[in-house]
Amino acid sequence: MSGNLLHRQPILRRPDGVGGALPALTLITLFFVVPVVALLLRSVTEPVPGLQNYATLFGDGTYARVFLNTFLVATVVTAVTVIVAFPVAWMLAIMPPALGSIVFGIIILSMWTNLLTRTYAWMVLLQRTGVINRTLMDIGLISQPLPLINNLTGVTIGMVYIMLPFMILPLVGTLRAIDPMTLRAAALCGASPFDAFRRILLPLSLPGIAAGGLMVFVMSLGYFVTPTLLGGTSNMMLAAMIAQMIQSLLNWGLGSAAAFILLLVTMALYALQLRLVGAKRMTGGI
Amino acid sequence: MLLDYDRLGWLRAALLGFTGLVAAFLLLPVVFIVLLSFGSSRWLAFPPPSWTLKWYEELFADPAWLEAALTSARIATMAAILAVVIGLLASFALVRGQFRGRNTLRGLLLTPMVLPVVVFAIAIYAFFLRIGLGGTTAGFVIAHTVLALPFAIIPITAALEGFDKTIEDAAIVCGASPFEAKLRVTLPAIKIGIFSAAIFAFLASWDEVVVAIFMASPTLQTLPVKIWGSLRQDLSPVIAAASSLLVLLTLSLMIVTALIRRKLSK
Repeated sequence: MSGNLLHRQPILRRPDGVGGALPALTLITLFFVVPVVALLLRSVTEPVPGLQNYATLFGDGTYARVFLNTFLVATVVTAVTVIVAFPVAWMLAIMPPALGSIVFGIIILSMWTNLLTRTYAWMVLLQRTGVINRTLMDIGLISQPLPLINNLTGVTIGMVYIMLPFMILPLVGTLRAIDPMTLRAAALCGASPFDAFRRILLPLSLPGIAAGGLMVFVMSLGYFVTPTLLGGTSNMMLAAMIAQMIQSLLNWGLGSAAAFILLLVTMALYALQLRLVGAKRMTGGI
Repeated sequence: MLLDYDRLGWLRAALLGFTGLVAAFLLLPVVFIVLLSFGSSRWLAFPPPSWTLKWYEELFADPAWLEAALTSARIATMAAILAVVIGLLASFALVRGQFRGRNTLRGLLLTPMVLPVVVFAIAIYAFFLRIGLGGTTAGFVIAHTVLALPFAIIPITAALEGFDKTIEDAAIVCGASPFEAKLRVTLPAIKIGIFSAAIFAFLASWDEVVVAIFMASPTLQTLPVKIWGSLRQDLSPVIAAASSLLVLLTLSLMIVTALIRRKLSK
Protein backbone atom coordinates (compact mmCIF):
# COMPACT_ATOMS: atom_id res chain seq x y z
CA MET A 1 0.00 0.00 0.00
CA SER A 2 2.44 2.60 1.20
CA GLY A 3 4.93 1.59 -1.47
CA ASN A 4 2.24 2.22 -4.00
CA LEU A 5 1.47 5.60 -2.54
CA LEU A 6 5.10 6.62 -2.63
CA HIS A 7 5.29 5.43 -6.18
CA ARG A 8 2.54 7.72 -7.34
CA GLN A 9 4.21 10.75 -5.88
CA PRO A 10 7.49 11.12 -7.74
CA ILE A 11 8.52 14.04 -5.52
CA LEU A 12 9.21 11.63 -2.66
CA ARG A 13 11.52 9.53 -4.75
CA ARG A 14 13.52 12.48 -5.95
CA PRO A 15 16.85 12.36 -4.15
CA ASP A 16 18.54 15.47 -2.82
CA GLY A 17 20.64 16.84 -5.64
CA VAL A 18 24.15 18.13 -5.78
CA GLY A 19 22.82 21.64 -5.06
CA GLY A 20 23.33 21.53 -1.30
CA ALA A 21 27.02 20.93 -1.78
CA LEU A 22 27.49 24.07 -3.86
CA PRO A 23 28.35 26.48 -0.99
CA ALA A 24 30.89 23.99 0.36
CA LEU A 25 32.29 23.35 -3.10
CA THR A 26 32.60 27.10 -3.75
CA LEU A 27 34.33 27.70 -0.43
CA ILE A 28 36.80 24.86 -0.91
CA THR A 29 37.53 25.71 -4.54
CA LEU A 30 38.02 29.43 -3.98
CA PHE A 31 39.84 29.38 -0.67
CA PHE A 32 41.56 26.00 -0.71
CA VAL A 33 42.16 24.60 -4.19
CA VAL A 34 43.00 27.91 -5.89
CA PRO A 35 45.46 29.13 -3.20
CA VAL A 36 47.19 25.73 -3.00
CA VAL A 37 47.52 25.42 -6.79
CA ALA A 38 48.74 29.03 -7.00
CA LEU A 39 51.37 28.23 -4.38
CA LEU A 40 52.52 25.14 -6.24
CA LEU A 41 52.86 27.17 -9.44
CA ARG A 42 55.26 29.49 -7.66
CA SER A 43 57.59 26.52 -7.15
CA VAL A 44 58.22 26.32 -10.90
CA THR A 45 58.05 30.04 -11.71
CA GLU A 46 60.10 31.73 -8.97
CA PRO A 47 62.65 33.19 -9.18
CA VAL A 48 62.74 32.10 -12.85
CA PRO A 49 60.64 29.49 -14.66
CA GLY A 50 62.07 25.99 -14.43
CA LEU A 51 62.71 23.13 -12.07
CA GLN A 52 65.76 24.64 -10.36
CA ASN A 53 63.99 24.74 -6.96
CA TYR A 54 63.49 21.00 -7.04
CA ALA A 55 67.06 20.48 -8.21
CA THR A 56 68.25 22.49 -5.21
CA LEU A 57 66.07 20.53 -2.80
CA PHE A 58 67.21 17.15 -4.06
CA GLY A 59 70.81 18.13 -4.72
CA ASP A 60 71.71 19.71 -1.40
CA GLY A 61 72.76 17.54 1.54
CA THR A 62 71.21 19.93 4.07
CA TYR A 63 67.75 19.41 2.64
CA ALA A 64 68.31 15.67 2.26
CA ARG A 65 68.95 15.58 5.99
CA VAL A 66 65.69 17.36 6.72
CA PHE A 67 63.75 14.84 4.60
CA LEU A 68 65.54 11.98 6.31
CA ASN A 69 64.89 13.44 9.77
CA THR A 70 61.22 13.88 8.98
CA PHE A 71 60.77 10.29 7.81
CA LEU A 72 62.79 8.96 10.70
CA VAL A 73 60.76 10.82 13.32
CA ALA A 74 57.44 9.93 11.67
CA THR A 75 58.44 6.24 11.53
CA VAL A 76 59.61 6.08 15.13
CA VAL A 77 56.57 8.02 16.38
CA THR A 78 54.22 5.71 14.48
CA ALA A 79 55.92 2.54 15.73
CA VAL A 80 55.94 3.67 19.37
CA THR A 81 52.36 4.92 19.16
CA VAL A 82 51.11 1.61 17.75
CA ILE A 83 52.95 -0.45 20.38
CA VAL A 84 51.73 1.71 23.28
CA ALA A 85 48.18 2.14 21.95
CA PHE A 86 47.42 -1.53 21.27
CA PRO A 87 47.32 -2.86 24.87
CA VAL A 88 45.34 0.21 25.99
CA ALA A 89 42.79 -0.17 23.19
CA TRP A 90 42.59 -3.89 23.96
CA MET A 91 41.75 -3.20 27.61
CA LEU A 92 39.32 -0.42 26.71
CA ALA A 93 37.47 -2.76 24.36
CA ILE A 94 36.71 -5.30 27.09
CA MET A 95 36.92 -3.32 30.34
CA PRO A 96 33.84 -2.84 32.54
CA PRO A 97 32.21 0.41 31.32
CA ALA A 98 32.60 2.20 34.68
CA LEU A 99 36.37 1.78 34.66
CA GLY A 100 36.61 2.33 30.92
CA SER A 101 34.81 5.66 31.01
CA ILE A 102 37.48 7.05 33.35
CA VAL A 103 40.21 6.11 30.88
CA PHE A 104 38.15 7.45 27.98
CA GLY A 105 37.65 10.70 29.92
CA ILE A 106 41.41 11.09 30.39
CA ILE A 107 42.04 10.42 26.69
CA ILE A 108 39.45 13.01 25.63
CA LEU A 109 40.76 15.56 28.15
CA SER A 110 44.27 15.15 26.80
CA MET A 111 43.08 15.32 23.19
CA TRP A 112 40.92 18.42 23.68
CA THR A 113 43.42 20.37 25.74
CA ASN A 114 44.98 23.16 23.74
CA LEU A 115 47.90 21.86 21.66
CA LEU A 116 50.22 24.65 22.78
CA THR A 117 49.35 24.00 26.42
CA ARG A 118 50.35 20.36 26.11
CA THR A 119 53.55 21.22 24.25
CA TYR A 120 54.41 23.91 26.81
CA ALA A 121 54.02 21.35 29.59
CA TRP A 122 56.46 19.02 27.84
CA MET A 123 58.92 21.86 27.30
CA VAL A 124 58.95 22.48 31.05
CA LEU A 125 58.95 18.79 32.00
CA LEU A 126 61.79 17.84 29.66
CA GLN A 127 64.14 20.77 30.16
CA ARG A 128 67.62 20.31 31.68
CA THR A 129 66.46 21.31 35.13
CA GLY A 130 62.98 19.86 34.61
CA VAL A 131 61.09 17.44 36.81
CA ILE A 132 62.06 14.36 34.84
CA ASN A 133 65.80 15.01 34.95
CA ARG A 134 65.61 16.10 38.59
CA THR A 135 63.74 12.93 39.58
CA LEU A 136 66.09 10.63 37.70
CA MET A 137 69.08 12.30 39.33
CA ASP A 138 67.51 12.18 42.79
CA ILE A 139 66.96 8.46 42.64
CA GLY A 140 70.51 8.07 41.35
CA LEU A 141 69.76 6.61 37.92
CA ILE A 142 71.80 9.31 36.19
CA SER A 143 74.47 11.73 37.36
CA GLN A 144 74.19 14.23 34.52
CA PRO A 145 70.91 15.65 33.15
CA LEU A 146 69.83 13.81 29.99
CA PRO A 147 69.42 15.95 26.88
CA LEU A 148 65.67 15.45 26.46
CA ILE A 149 64.75 18.63 24.65
CA ASN A 150 65.90 20.49 21.52
CA ASN A 151 66.59 17.15 19.89
CA LEU A 152 64.73 14.26 18.30
CA THR A 153 64.10 12.59 21.69
CA GLY A 154 62.00 15.57 22.77
CA VAL A 155 60.16 15.66 19.46
CA THR A 156 59.40 11.94 19.67
CA ILE A 157 58.06 12.11 23.23
CA GLY A 158 55.89 15.14 22.46
CA MET A 159 54.57 13.69 19.21
CA VAL A 160 53.75 10.26 20.68
CA TYR A 161 51.83 12.08 23.40
CA ILE A 162 49.76 13.95 20.84
CA MET A 163 49.19 11.00 18.49
CA LEU A 164 48.19 8.37 21.10
CA PRO A 165 44.46 9.28 21.20
CA PHE A 166 44.28 9.15 17.38
CA MET A 167 45.57 5.59 17.49
CA ILE A 168 43.75 4.32 20.60
CA LEU A 169 40.22 5.48 19.74
CA PRO A 170 39.85 3.88 16.27
CA LEU A 171 41.63 0.74 17.47
CA VAL A 172 39.04 0.26 20.24
CA GLY A 173 36.41 0.12 17.50
CA THR A 174 38.36 -2.50 15.56
CA LEU A 175 38.90 -4.67 18.63
CA ARG A 176 35.27 -4.42 19.73
CA ALA A 177 34.18 -5.66 16.32
CA ILE A 178 36.11 -8.92 16.76
CA ASP A 179 33.89 -11.79 17.85
CA PRO A 180 35.21 -13.13 21.19
CA MET A 181 33.99 -16.58 20.12
CA THR A 182 36.86 -16.87 17.64
CA LEU A 183 39.29 -16.67 20.55
CA ARG A 184 37.27 -19.04 22.67
CA ALA A 185 37.35 -21.49 19.80
CA ALA A 186 41.11 -21.14 19.58
CA ALA A 187 41.46 -21.87 23.30
CA LEU A 188 39.19 -24.90 23.02
CA CYS A 189 41.30 -26.23 20.19
CA GLY A 190 44.33 -26.01 22.42
CA ALA A 191 45.99 -22.79 21.32
CA SER A 192 48.16 -21.15 23.97
CA PRO A 193 47.35 -17.50 24.76
CA PHE A 194 50.46 -16.47 22.87
CA ASP A 195 49.40 -18.47 19.79
CA ALA A 196 45.89 -17.06 20.00
CA PHE A 197 47.33 -13.55 20.14
CA ARG A 198 49.77 -14.07 17.28
CA ARG A 199 47.49 -16.00 14.97
CA ILE A 200 44.04 -14.58 15.72
CA LEU A 201 43.86 -11.34 17.71
CA LEU A 202 46.74 -9.59 15.95
CA PRO A 203 45.77 -10.52 12.36
CA LEU A 204 42.13 -9.55 13.00
CA SER A 205 43.13 -6.15 14.35
CA LEU A 206 45.64 -5.52 11.57
CA PRO A 207 43.26 -3.41 9.43
CA GLY A 208 42.72 -1.06 12.37
CA ILE A 209 46.43 -0.93 13.13
CA ALA A 210 47.26 -0.21 9.49
CA ALA A 211 44.63 2.53 9.16
CA GLY A 212 45.50 4.21 12.46
CA GLY A 213 49.23 3.85 11.90
CA LEU A 214 49.00 5.36 8.44
CA MET A 215 47.02 8.29 9.84
CA VAL A 216 49.57 8.89 12.58
CA PHE A 217 52.42 8.63 10.07
CA VAL A 218 50.81 11.13 7.70
CA MET A 219 50.02 13.57 10.51
CA SER A 220 53.56 13.27 11.87
CA LEU A 221 55.15 13.98 8.47
CA GLY A 222 53.58 17.41 8.24
CA TYR A 223 53.48 18.37 11.90
CA PHE A 224 54.70 21.86 12.64
CA VAL A 225 54.04 23.04 16.19
CA THR A 226 55.50 20.31 18.39
CA PRO A 227 58.69 19.66 16.38
CA THR A 228 59.35 23.38 16.22
CA LEU A 229 59.01 23.89 19.98
CA LEU A 230 60.58 20.63 21.21
CA GLY A 231 63.13 20.09 18.45
CA GLY A 232 66.48 21.71 17.94
CA THR A 233 67.64 23.95 15.12
CA SER A 234 70.18 21.39 13.96
CA ASN A 235 67.60 18.69 13.23
CA MET A 236 64.71 20.54 11.70
CA MET A 237 61.68 18.76 10.27
CA LEU A 238 60.08 19.42 6.90
CA ALA A 239 57.12 21.56 8.00
CA ALA A 240 59.34 23.80 10.11
CA MET A 241 61.76 24.16 7.20
CA ILE A 242 58.93 25.19 4.85
CA ALA A 243 57.69 27.81 7.32
CA GLN A 244 61.21 29.13 7.78
CA MET A 245 61.85 29.38 4.02
CA ILE A 246 58.72 31.51 3.64
CA GLN A 247 58.68 33.49 6.87
CA SER A 248 62.31 34.28 7.52
CA LEU A 249 64.04 33.75 4.19
CA LEU A 250 61.15 34.92 1.97
CA ASN A 251 62.23 32.26 -0.52
CA TRP A 252 58.80 31.49 -1.97
CA GLY A 253 60.09 29.38 -4.83
CA LEU A 254 62.04 26.94 -2.66
CA GLY A 255 59.43 26.98 0.11
CA SER A 256 56.60 26.09 -2.23
CA ALA A 257 58.66 23.36 -3.90
CA ALA A 258 59.21 21.77 -0.47
CA ALA A 259 55.49 22.23 0.26
CA PHE A 260 54.65 20.44 -2.98
CA ILE A 261 56.80 17.45 -2.03
CA LEU A 262 55.07 17.28 1.37
CA LEU A 263 51.66 17.55 -0.30
CA LEU A 264 52.47 14.83 -2.82
CA VAL A 265 53.65 12.33 -0.19
CA THR A 266 50.71 13.10 2.09
CA MET A 267 48.10 12.74 -0.64
CA ALA A 268 49.62 9.49 -1.90
CA LEU A 269 49.45 8.00 1.60
CA TYR A 270 45.91 9.37 2.06
CA ALA A 271 44.82 7.65 -1.13
CA LEU A 272 46.41 4.43 0.09
CA GLN A 273 44.54 4.74 3.38
CA LEU A 274 41.22 5.35 1.62
CA ARG A 275 41.82 2.18 -0.37
CA LEU A 276 42.66 0.26 2.80
CA VAL A 277 39.68 1.27 4.89
CA GLY A 278 37.26 2.80 2.41
CA ALA A 279 35.98 6.37 2.52
CA LYS A 280 32.94 5.36 4.54
CA ARG A 281 34.90 3.91 7.44
CA MET A 282 37.27 6.87 7.48
CA THR A 283 34.55 9.45 7.65
CA GLY A 284 32.60 7.56 10.27
CA GLY A 285 35.64 7.72 12.49
CA ILE A 286 34.57 10.56 14.75
CA MET B 1 40.05 -16.10 26.09
CA LEU B 2 41.95 -12.97 25.12
CA LEU B 3 38.79 -10.91 24.67
CA ASP B 4 37.12 -12.06 27.86
CA TYR B 5 37.83 -9.60 30.66
CA ASP B 6 36.98 -12.07 33.41
CA ARG B 7 39.13 -14.88 32.08
CA LEU B 8 42.35 -13.11 31.17
CA GLY B 9 44.18 -14.25 34.28
CA TRP B 10 47.60 -12.74 34.99
CA LEU B 11 47.54 -11.00 31.63
CA ARG B 12 44.72 -8.79 32.87
CA ALA B 13 46.82 -7.41 35.72
CA ALA B 14 49.67 -6.66 33.33
CA LEU B 15 47.45 -5.00 30.75
CA LEU B 16 45.55 -3.00 33.37
CA GLY B 17 48.83 -1.84 34.88
CA PHE B 18 50.06 -0.74 31.48
CA THR B 19 46.78 1.04 30.73
CA GLY B 20 47.07 2.85 34.06
CA LEU B 21 50.60 3.99 33.19
CA VAL B 22 49.48 5.30 29.79
CA ALA B 23 46.53 7.10 31.39
CA ALA B 24 48.96 8.69 33.87
CA PHE B 25 51.23 9.69 30.98
CA LEU B 26 48.27 11.32 29.22
CA LEU B 27 47.19 13.11 32.37
CA LEU B 28 50.68 14.17 33.50
CA PRO B 29 51.18 17.38 31.46
CA VAL B 30 47.64 18.59 32.11
CA VAL B 31 47.87 18.19 35.89
CA PHE B 32 51.45 19.41 35.95
CA ILE B 33 50.64 22.68 34.20
CA VAL B 34 47.78 23.45 36.57
CA LEU B 35 49.96 22.81 39.65
CA LEU B 36 52.76 24.88 38.15
CA SER B 37 50.50 27.87 37.59
CA PHE B 38 50.06 28.19 41.37
CA GLY B 39 53.78 27.76 42.11
CA SER B 40 55.80 30.78 43.18
CA SER B 41 59.02 29.99 41.29
CA ARG B 42 59.63 32.13 38.21
CA TRP B 43 62.02 29.43 37.01
CA LEU B 44 59.25 26.81 37.19
CA ALA B 45 60.93 24.78 39.93
CA PHE B 46 58.87 21.76 40.89
CA PRO B 47 57.60 21.07 43.48
CA PRO B 48 57.17 24.83 43.98
CA PRO B 49 58.75 26.45 47.06
CA SER B 50 55.39 28.05 47.92
CA TRP B 51 51.99 28.70 46.37
CA THR B 52 50.76 31.94 44.87
CA LEU B 53 48.17 33.57 42.61
CA LYS B 54 50.54 36.17 41.23
CA TRP B 55 50.78 34.64 37.74
CA TYR B 56 47.02 34.91 37.40
CA GLU B 57 47.22 38.55 38.57
CA GLU B 58 49.92 39.20 35.97
CA LEU B 59 47.80 37.47 33.33
CA PHE B 60 44.73 39.59 34.04
CA ALA B 61 46.80 42.77 34.36
CA ASP B 62 47.89 42.45 30.73
CA PRO B 63 44.93 43.40 28.50
CA ALA B 64 46.60 41.75 25.48
CA TRP B 65 45.73 38.27 26.85
CA LEU B 66 42.05 39.03 27.28
CA GLU B 67 41.91 40.73 23.93
CA ALA B 68 43.50 37.73 22.23
CA ALA B 69 41.03 35.38 23.95
CA LEU B 70 38.08 37.49 22.81
CA THR B 71 39.44 37.61 19.26
CA SER B 72 39.77 33.82 19.27
CA ALA B 73 36.25 33.37 20.63
CA ARG B 74 34.81 35.72 18.02
CA ILE B 75 36.60 34.07 15.10
CA ALA B 76 35.90 30.52 16.32
CA THR B 77 32.19 31.26 16.80
CA MET B 78 31.80 32.69 13.32
CA ALA B 79 33.86 29.91 11.73
CA ALA B 80 31.86 27.24 13.60
CA ILE B 81 28.48 28.69 12.54
CA LEU B 82 29.58 28.96 8.92
CA ALA B 83 31.12 25.48 8.90
CA VAL B 84 28.01 23.87 10.42
CA VAL B 85 25.56 25.61 8.03
CA ILE B 86 27.67 24.92 4.94
CA GLY B 87 28.50 21.42 6.19
CA LEU B 88 24.85 20.61 6.89
CA LEU B 89 23.80 21.58 3.37
CA ALA B 90 26.69 19.62 1.90
CA SER B 91 25.92 16.56 4.04
CA PHE B 92 22.43 16.19 2.53
CA ALA B 93 23.98 16.13 -0.94
CA LEU B 94 26.78 13.77 0.14
CA VAL B 95 24.49 11.27 1.87
CA ARG B 96 21.38 11.36 -0.30
CA GLY B 97 22.49 12.83 -3.60
CA GLN B 98 22.74 10.55 -6.58
CA PHE B 99 25.20 12.10 -8.91
CA ARG B 100 28.46 11.14 -10.50
CA GLY B 101 31.58 11.91 -8.52
CA ARG B 102 29.87 11.93 -5.15
CA ASN B 103 32.74 10.11 -3.47
CA THR B 104 35.26 12.39 -5.15
CA LEU B 105 33.34 15.39 -3.82
CA ARG B 106 33.34 13.90 -0.33
CA GLY B 107 37.09 13.35 -0.57
CA LEU B 108 37.65 16.91 -1.79
CA LEU B 109 35.60 18.48 1.00
CA LEU B 110 37.50 16.46 3.61
CA THR B 111 40.97 17.20 2.16
CA PRO B 112 41.62 20.27 4.39
CA MET B 113 41.73 17.85 7.32
CA VAL B 114 44.42 15.72 5.69
CA LEU B 115 46.66 18.25 3.98
CA PRO B 116 49.45 19.39 6.34
CA VAL B 117 48.29 22.68 7.79
CA VAL B 118 51.59 24.36 7.05
CA VAL B 119 51.00 23.94 3.29
CA PHE B 120 47.52 25.46 3.52
CA ALA B 121 48.82 28.18 5.85
CA ILE B 122 51.42 29.54 3.44
CA ALA B 123 49.06 29.10 0.48
CA ILE B 124 46.19 31.06 2.03
CA TYR B 125 48.65 33.60 3.47
CA ALA B 126 50.02 34.36 0.00
CA PHE B 127 46.53 34.37 -1.52
CA PHE B 128 45.09 36.75 1.08
CA LEU B 129 48.05 39.10 0.75
CA ARG B 130 47.25 39.33 -2.93
CA ILE B 131 43.50 39.93 -2.58
CA GLY B 132 43.79 42.22 0.44
CA LEU B 133 42.39 39.92 3.15
CA GLY B 134 45.70 39.43 4.97
CA GLY B 135 45.53 40.14 8.70
CA THR B 136 41.76 40.76 8.66
CA THR B 137 39.04 39.11 10.73
CA ALA B 138 37.26 38.09 7.52
CA GLY B 139 40.44 36.38 6.33
CA PHE B 140 40.81 34.51 9.61
CA VAL B 141 37.16 33.40 9.55
CA ILE B 142 37.35 32.16 5.95
CA ALA B 143 40.58 30.23 6.50
CA HIS B 144 39.29 28.67 9.72
CA THR B 145 35.95 27.78 8.12
CA VAL B 146 37.85 25.83 5.45
CA LEU B 147 39.76 23.94 8.17
CA ALA B 148 36.64 23.39 10.31
CA LEU B 149 34.42 22.17 7.47
CA PRO B 150 35.57 18.51 7.55
CA PHE B 151 35.00 18.42 11.31
CA ALA B 152 31.41 19.58 10.70
CA ILE B 153 30.73 17.27 7.75
CA ILE B 154 31.95 14.05 9.42
CA PRO B 155 29.52 13.92 12.39
CA ILE B 156 26.58 15.30 10.37
CA THR B 157 26.92 12.80 7.53
CA ALA B 158 27.30 10.03 10.12
CA ALA B 159 24.06 11.13 11.83
CA LEU B 160 22.26 11.50 8.52
CA GLU B 161 23.31 8.03 7.40
CA GLY B 162 21.75 6.63 10.55
CA PHE B 163 18.46 8.43 9.95
CA ASP B 164 15.66 6.58 8.17
CA LYS B 165 14.56 8.78 5.28
CA THR B 166 11.10 7.20 5.10
CA ILE B 167 10.21 9.17 8.25
CA GLU B 168 10.87 12.38 6.35
CA ASP B 169 8.84 11.00 3.43
CA ALA B 170 6.00 10.19 5.82
CA ALA B 171 5.90 13.84 6.91
CA ILE B 172 5.61 14.86 3.26
CA VAL B 173 2.83 12.36 2.69
CA CYS B 174 1.07 13.92 5.67
CA GLY B 175 1.20 17.27 3.94
CA ALA B 176 4.46 18.91 4.94
CA SER B 177 6.50 20.63 2.28
CA PRO B 178 9.91 19.02 1.64
CA PHE B 179 11.61 21.96 3.35
CA GLU B 180 9.27 21.80 6.33
CA ALA B 181 9.83 18.06 6.65
CA LYS B 182 13.61 18.56 6.75
CA LEU B 183 13.34 21.40 9.24
CA ARG B 184 10.89 19.81 11.64
CA VAL B 185 11.53 16.09 11.27
CA THR B 186 15.06 15.44 10.01
CA LEU B 187 16.99 18.21 11.76
CA PRO B 188 15.65 17.36 15.24
CA ALA B 189 16.49 13.71 14.59
CA ILE B 190 20.15 14.45 13.77
CA LYS B 191 20.64 17.16 16.40
CA ILE B 192 23.36 15.22 18.24
CA GLY B 193 25.40 15.09 15.05
CA ILE B 194 24.88 18.81 14.49
CA PHE B 195 25.85 19.53 18.09
CA SER B 196 29.06 17.48 17.79
CA ALA B 197 29.79 19.28 14.53
CA ALA B 198 29.50 22.66 16.25
CA ILE B 199 31.84 21.62 19.09
CA PHE B 200 34.47 20.11 16.78
CA ALA B 201 34.31 23.05 14.36
CA PHE B 202 34.67 25.54 17.21
CA LEU B 203 37.68 23.68 18.64
CA ALA B 204 39.26 23.38 15.18
CA SER B 205 39.38 27.17 14.97
CA TRP B 206 39.95 27.96 18.67
CA ASP B 207 43.05 25.73 18.84
CA GLU B 208 44.41 26.53 15.41
CA VAL B 209 48.02 27.75 15.54
CA VAL B 210 49.73 27.49 12.18
CA VAL B 211 47.44 29.51 9.89
CA ALA B 212 47.02 31.99 12.72
CA ILE B 213 50.77 32.53 13.05
CA PHE B 214 51.02 33.46 9.39
CA MET B 215 47.84 35.55 9.28
CA ALA B 216 48.25 37.45 12.54
CA SER B 217 49.06 41.15 12.45
CA PRO B 218 50.21 43.37 15.32
CA THR B 219 46.61 44.50 15.79
CA LEU B 220 44.90 41.14 15.28
CA GLN B 221 46.11 38.05 17.06
CA THR B 222 44.32 35.02 18.43
CA LEU B 223 45.04 33.35 21.75
CA PRO B 224 47.27 30.58 20.27
CA VAL B 225 49.34 33.27 18.52
CA LYS B 226 49.74 35.12 21.81
CA ILE B 227 50.82 31.90 23.57
CA TRP B 228 53.17 31.02 20.70
CA GLY B 229 54.78 34.45 20.88
CA SER B 230 55.30 34.16 24.65
CA LEU B 231 56.65 30.60 24.34
CA ARG B 232 59.29 31.69 21.87
CA GLN B 233 60.51 34.33 24.32
CA ASP B 234 60.63 32.40 27.59
CA LEU B 235 58.75 29.76 29.56
CA SER B 236 57.09 32.33 31.83
CA PRO B 237 54.67 30.93 34.47
CA VAL B 238 52.08 33.38 33.10
CA ILE B 239 51.70 30.93 30.20
CA ALA B 240 51.00 28.22 32.78
CA ALA B 241 48.22 30.38 34.23
CA ALA B 242 46.72 30.98 30.79
CA SER B 243 47.08 27.28 30.00
CA SER B 244 45.32 26.28 33.21
CA LEU B 245 42.35 28.44 32.29
CA LEU B 246 42.29 26.66 28.92
CA VAL B 247 42.31 23.29 30.71
CA LEU B 248 39.40 24.50 32.83
CA LEU B 249 37.60 25.51 29.66
CA THR B 250 38.22 22.07 28.12
CA LEU B 251 36.88 20.37 31.25
CA SER B 252 33.73 22.50 31.27
CA LEU B 253 33.25 21.86 27.57
CA MET B 254 33.52 18.09 28.18
CA ILE B 255 30.97 18.23 30.98
CA VAL B 256 28.55 20.44 29.05
CA THR B 257 28.93 18.15 26.01
CA ALA B 258 28.19 15.06 28.08
CA LEU B 259 25.14 16.70 29.66
CA ILE B 260 23.74 18.02 26.39
CA ARG B 261 24.32 14.70 24.63
CA ARG B 262 22.47 12.92 27.42
CA LYS B 263 19.61 15.40 27.18
CA LEU B 264 19.45 15.31 23.39
CA SER B 265 19.45 11.55 23.18
CA LYS B 266 16.41 11.25 25.46
